[in-house]
Amino acid sequence: MQSRRHAPESEDTGIDLAPMLDFTVNLLIFFIITTSFIKEAGVTVFKPPAITAVNKPSGNLLIAVRENGDIWMDRRHIELRDVRTLIERLHIERPKDTVVIIADKESSAGAVAKVMDEVRLAGITDVSIAANPNGGGG
Amino acid sequence: MRKRRQPDNHDSSTGIDLAPMLDFVTNLLIFFIITAVFVKESGLTVNRPTSFEQENKEDSKSIQVQILDNGEIWIDNRAVDSHAVRANVERLSAVNPDSGVLILAQDKAPTGVLVEVVDQVHLGGVYNITFSTTQ
Repeated sequence: MQSRRHAPESEDTGIDLAPMLDFTVNLLIFFIITTSFIKEAGVTVFKPPAITAVNKPSGNLLIAVRENGDIWMDRRHIELRDVRTLIERLHIERPKDTVVIIADKESSAGAVAKVMDEVRLAGITDVSIAANPNGGGG
Repeated sequence: MRKRRQPDNHDSSTGIDLAPMLDFVTNLLIFFIITAVFVKESGLTVNRPTSFEQENKEDSKSIQVQILDNGEIWIDNRAVDSHAVRANVERLSAVNPDSGVLILAQDKAPTGVLVEVVDQVHLGGVYNITFSTTQ
C-alpha cells in the first residue's frame, strides 16, 4: 500500500482516459460552434426539384414560404414586414451567412419575390431559392 | 502484489473515474456530428433587379422568359413546354452570347415552375439570371 500512494508515473490501473477526453471535448466544442447558428425554418415544405442546384455551405439563414404564402423562420410563423428586422439582426451577428428561401412548389412567385426584396433591403444580396438536387426530373 | 492482480472493479483510488464523463461527452459529440451533417441546403441563385429603370434598360439585350399565373411559359411570344426552355435558351444565347436571362413571372405563378425554368436555363448554359415579377 505504501508503494501505491507515491510513485506517480507507474500506476497500472488501466488506460488513462484524460487525453482522450480532452480530444473529444475539443471536437465537441467545434461541432457545437459550427452547428448552433443555423436558423432552421421549422416547417415542412415540398421543394421543387432541380438538377443544377448547388450546395450552399454558408446558407445558414433559412426562410420557408408555404403554399398559402405563410412565411416561417426560426421555427416561428412571421409576417413579411418582420423579415427585414430579423435578417438585419442576424446579419450583424454573422455577416458571412447567406439566405436560402425554401419555397413550396405551389407557392406564388410574387410571395418569394417579396421575401427576396426584404432580405436584400436587410443587406444580404446573396439569396438563393432552395431546390432538391436528387429528385430532378427536368 | 497478489491483492493488486485481482479484478478491482470498484474503488481503485486513483483520482476521479473519467469513463462516465467520456461516455456522456462522446454521446453529445455524436449528436452534434449528426445534426451538423443534415441541415445543409441546396439552392439556385438568382438576381433581383436593383431598380425598375435597370430592368427596363436590360430588356433589349436579355433573353426574356415569361411565366404566367397558370404556369405557362412564354419565350419569344410563343408558349413553350418546360422541357423546351433549355433548347430555346441555347438557341437565343448562341445568337447573343453575352446576354443574360430575364425571368418575368406573374405574381401568382407557381414557384415550382420558376425553379424548373431556372434549372433549364442553367442547363442551357446561362447562369446570369434576373428574376422579376409583374402584376
